[in-house]
Amino acid sequence: MDFNYILDALPDLMRGLKMTLMVSGLAILLSCIIGAVGAALRTSGFKPAEYLVTGYVEFIRGTPYLVQIFFIFYGLPSLGLRLSVFWSGVVALTLWASAFQIENFRGGLAAVSHGVRDASASLGLKRWHHALLVVFPLAARAALPSSMNTIVATVKNSAYLQAIGLVELTFVAVDRIAYDFRAIEMFFSICVIYLLCVFALSGLGHALEHRLNRPFAGR
Amino acid sequence: MLLLEFRSFLFDGLLNTLLLSLVMILGGTLFAILFAAGLSLPSRWLSRPVFLIVECLRDIPLMVTVLLVYFILPNIGISLNPFWSSALSVSVWGGANGAHIIRAGLAAVPKGQWETVQAFGLGGWKGLLLVVVPQAMPVILPPYISLVTGLVQASSLGAVLGVNELLRSAQVLIEQTTIARGGSPAYLVYGAILVVYFVLCWAIAFVGRRLEAHFAKPYRRDRPSVDRGKDPSQVLAPTAPLDIRT
Repeated sequence: MDFNYILDALPDLMRGLKMTLMVSGLAILLSCIIGAVGAALRTSGFKPAEYLVTGYVEFIRGTPYLVQIFFIFYGLPSLGLRLSVFWSGVVALTLWASAFQIENFRGGLAAVSHGVRDASASLGLKRWHHALLVVFPLAARAALPSSMNTIVATVKNSAYLQAIGLVELTFVAVDRIAYDFRAIEMFFSICVIYLLCVFALSGLGHALEHRLNRPFAGR
Repeated sequence: MLLLEFRSFLFDGLLNTLLLSLVMILGGTLFAILFAAGLSLPSRWLSRPVFLIVECLRDIPLMVTVLLVYFILPNIGISLNPFWSSALSVSVWGGANGAHIIRAGLAAVPKGQWETVQAFGLGGWKGLLLVVVPQAMPVILPPYISLVTGLVQASSLGAVLGVNELLRSAQVLIEQTTIARGGSPAYLVYGAILVVYFVLCWAIAFVGRRLEAHFAKPYRRDRPSVDRGKDPSQVLAPTAPLDIRT
């Protein structure tokens, strides 16, 4: 293995990493919002919305992610919606991650006990206050571990976007291999970078979990 | 209509997808059993490296694993065609995820069962297969079915390497018709194969539920009324959360 070559390629790889983090960061942010709203809709008791959200989740989970990306990037333009590579990537990744986040948050909502509702009612909290100030923090805590899993998976799955030509980490590596044939060096470095990202994120998740559990510690 | 006109071409793609998925499921199961055995080796010096390999495989994006196997293996003198290369990489990935499912399932069987089996002289493989594994099934099956659908979906990665499976057929069809007739039918073709994959995964989930019901039967009959109607996997033990769908 030639470490000088890796050092040489490092600026390119860092540019790729920046793109990877940008796409996945946007997708994580959007998917968490959609996940929370979707989970609220799915448990709202309004049947059409429930069926719609369930259908969306089942469809995304039941189809290959790669085909979803191709459908969004190559299929949508002929339906009149033209997105750049970057935004196609963001949309595809967001749609994929949202399906999983909806499930995670739904699990979180299910973990909030029913007594809480009575407690809020007896304190005279309005419905909105009850949902935002009582249920949401409790549900977010319960959903955090599985939600963190999905967030890590979102960063990993941004690698699929190299198939539509988004210049992210994997694309940079494969592109350089096409010119220099240094497959071992390139794959070693991107594997290390991805592993570092995953470890950093899951470490952050554990720290957050620990921090959020403080009010419940020692009980 | 375009899809009907080229249905035999797309059907060939579907057959290849099914074949590739089958190889991946069998290979993934094999690797899962091997890794699970490796993880439960008595010596830490032996089980730690296996754990490390499994963790790396789970943490590196599948896309990278697939490309890595395809580009690196020729460097060390093994050249596989795209079909076997993608089958190998996805199988190893599936094995790493499956290993944890199998290990969690076996760990959920109460220790007393192992001891009873040995007391009855059913040591070794026989006791494992006849007594412990059937009891582990209610815990193993739900995430395992999920892994199997994940593997079927991962077979679409073969298209990246150029295996002639369903997604690749769709790509070829779109390219050819765009050149020959003008106007891209991409949304139609990709939309159609999305539906095909969805039906495929739905069918697997359906069969999976039947299997789960089959293995859950003993618990319905014998358990006291408290547990009746509950999901046996919840009665036994929770499994580790898995996010394996890609």
